Amino acid sequence: MFLTRSEYDRGVNTFSPEGRLFQVEYAIEAIKLGSTAIGICTSQGVVLAVEKRITSSLMEPTTIEKIVEVDKHIGCAVSGLIADSRTMIDKARIECQNHWFVYNEKMTVESCAQAVSNLAIQFGDSDDDGAAMSRPFGVAILFAGIDEKGPQLYHMDPSGTFVQFDAKAIGSGSEGAQQSLQEVYHKSMTLEEATTSALTILKQVMEEKLNSSNVEVMTMTPNKLFHMFTKEQVEEVIGRLSVEHPVSLNVGGSQKV
Amino acid sequence: MSLALRPSFPDYESVSKHNNFNPYSDNGGSVVAIAGDDFVVVGADTRLSAGFSIYTREQSKLFPLSANTVLGCSGCWCDTLTLTRILKSRMQMYQQEHNKTMSTTACAQMLSIILYYKRFFPYYISNMLVGLDDEGKGCVYSYDPVGHCERRTFRASGSAGALLQPLLDNQIGKKNMLNAKEEPVSKEAALSILKDVFISAAERDIYTGDSILINIITKDGTTEETFQLRRD
Amino acid sequence: MMNPPAFWQNGPAPGNFYSFPNMQPQMKPEESRQHSQGPVTTSTSILALAYDKGVIVAGDLLASYGSLARYTNCPRIFKVNNNIILGASGDYADFQYVKEFVEQKIITEECLDDGLFLKPKSLYCWLTRILYQRRSKMDPLWNNFVVAGIQDGQPFLGTVDKLGTAYTDKVICTGYGSYIATPLLRDAADKKPQLTLDEARAHIEKSLEVLYYRDARSFPKYQLGIIDVDQGVSIEGPLEISQNWNVAYSIKGY
Repeated sequence: MFLTRSEYDRGVNTFSPEGRLFQVEYAIEAIKLGSTAIGICTSQGVVLAVEKRITSSLMEPTTIEKIVEVDKHIGCAVSGLIADSRTMIDKARIECQNHWFVYNEKMTVESCAQAVSNLAIQFGDSDDDGAAMSRPFGVAILFAGIDEKGPQLYHMDPSGTFVQFDAKAIGSGSEGAQQSLQEVYHKSMTLEEATTSALTILKQVMEEKLNSSNVEVMTMTPNKLFHMFTKEQVEEVIGRLSVEHPVSLNVGGSQKV
Repeated sequence: MSLALRPSFPDYESVSKHNNFNPYSDNGGSVVAIAGDDFVVVGADTRLSAGFSIYTREQSKLFPLSANTVLGCSGCWCDTLTLTRILKSRMQMYQQEHNKTMSTTACAQMLSIILYYKRFFPYYISNMLVGLDDEGKGCVYSYDPVGHCERRTFRASGSAGALLQPLLDNQIGKKNMLNAKEEPVSKEAALSILKDVFISAAERDIYTGDSILINIITKDGTTEETFQLRRD
Repeated sequence: MMNPPAFWQNGPAPGNFYSFPNMQPQMKPEESRQHSQGPVTTSTSILALAYDKGVIVAGDLLASYGSLARYTNCPRIFKVNNNIILGASGDYADFQYVKEFVEQKIITEECLDDGLFLKPKSLYCWLTRILYQRRSKMDPLWNNFVVAGIQDGQPFLGTVDKLGTAYTDKVICTGYGSYIATPLLRDAADKKPQLTLDEARAHIEKSLEVLYYRDARSFPKYQLGIIDVDQGVSIEGPLEISQNWNVAYSIKGY
């Protein structure tokens, strides 16, 4: 892909003769190094599941936070450069609170994604009152939320492009996981089915053995809104995996980094 | 040296003379709104005045902000012109940013904040925002110039506000009446009370008169009606 | 700025002869900003009346300095373009300032040569925003403007005051005229909603005469601006107000 690497990949706002912005493409590549995150949107709610890479047994797994609450009705799963994601989550949270402050209503999921997207594309712009961001964010985000249009899932990449999905995987295992999601997903899926499917797929694309401390699971439902699974709840879902989902999903192991 | 003993030499005052320009004017006008279970009516007189002069007899003080939200303004007319333009553009920006029309409740909160942002140089306007809420019920939000906001079922504001509110309390709120308690008003009753109270206001308040413009908002949209008042 | 050395030690600096204790420190000229305190050289009423096919605007040629009739040939009704007449009362200097930038805008627009011209409602709105902005800076332009024009084949008549208070009507009079001429003209407009140009002109002339008898800051020389759907813009004048003071001898007791 980058065999024709040239001088055009130095500046974040320099187009190559073919009309590409290499730095943005590199940022999108950076996501593929990140841990896998999966989101599935059903009529009952949205589920997000992410893997946590526990690189040392001395690490405290609970301090890795890849699913965060933006507002009561919007949650995010991130993959890529986690430090970058903090800035974007901050932006999302501020925008949601500001929307509530000004309009006394919940911000829609789309508007929230739009607001974060506006931040994501600000690399390379400098103006009088602020220095430019030197590079694009190296983060992909899944927005799971509920608003007047019901449960919704949005995906955003470092270019700031955001698209609504029924089911989406990001991170190192995303290619295989996305294929599996395509096979598993159907419109009448229950949230419970979606949760088990998400973990099944996650289990298959993860390098380490999936357990209750190296995954995070969150559901977004009309009643409970943002709900992060406790360790026990995660274990319960893991318990269901082998029994309910004997189907061997066609997941190639080649895309692991 | 105590403050009282400080010498004063007005001839040698070095600070500039007090600026006696008054950026506000009271252009009068009254707004009355009555909400029911599935409608809301709002009326405003069409007289624009200052002191003992009538600027014009046909100035609408009702500003439709969306299909089911209307703002009624009275007070300083130049501020009204400015505020309503700001609101109009905010409604459009919201529509474009969020791909939906701003609800009456959202608009009510936004107005409060726009007003408070000018807390130390306020828009000198008595605002009344009416519309239908998320459940389709009629709602009336009334404001003070710096953004205090409250939701009521009926309200009179503007130059004859103090004159009319007790009348509405009695006629619609059934206050101070024996064996009567408040119950939802019908659209027809609300309209006739609205006209009656404006006739009364025009008798006593020189800043209210000429005619009234009435907006009736239901789920089907907004309809307009006019009604003549005395012109003296 | 260079500070000159003191005339003598411990004494006030030149220009600061009275340096009393406990007085607020003197403001340096560059720190202070002059805001207009009020109008200085003023002109009196503008009368305007919309008739069936246009608008007629009148105003005298006097600019007063307080009670002194200081300048007697100050036109304050001018043609903006083929669509608009602008009239003003109040501070004459502020009017000249506004006239200058309105004319500059017309020149800029003409340079575009796109066949589009400023419309009365646009000028009216623009002036409203400018005057409101100046009042918000507590530095108003001390004028009442009357915008008369033709838009979409219909007569337009609007006014803006120093606060940015703006409205449109068939009858608009500023200053003293709002008390004396407005009732006369409204009466005429109410009795016959579609006045002809000649009728409108007669009413305006009568109102000017009555106003001249009563307004001590008025003047018998005036200009008349007419904008008509068919005949376009014309500014007539200086014209003379017809006057008859015979009746004055019978007024006693003042």
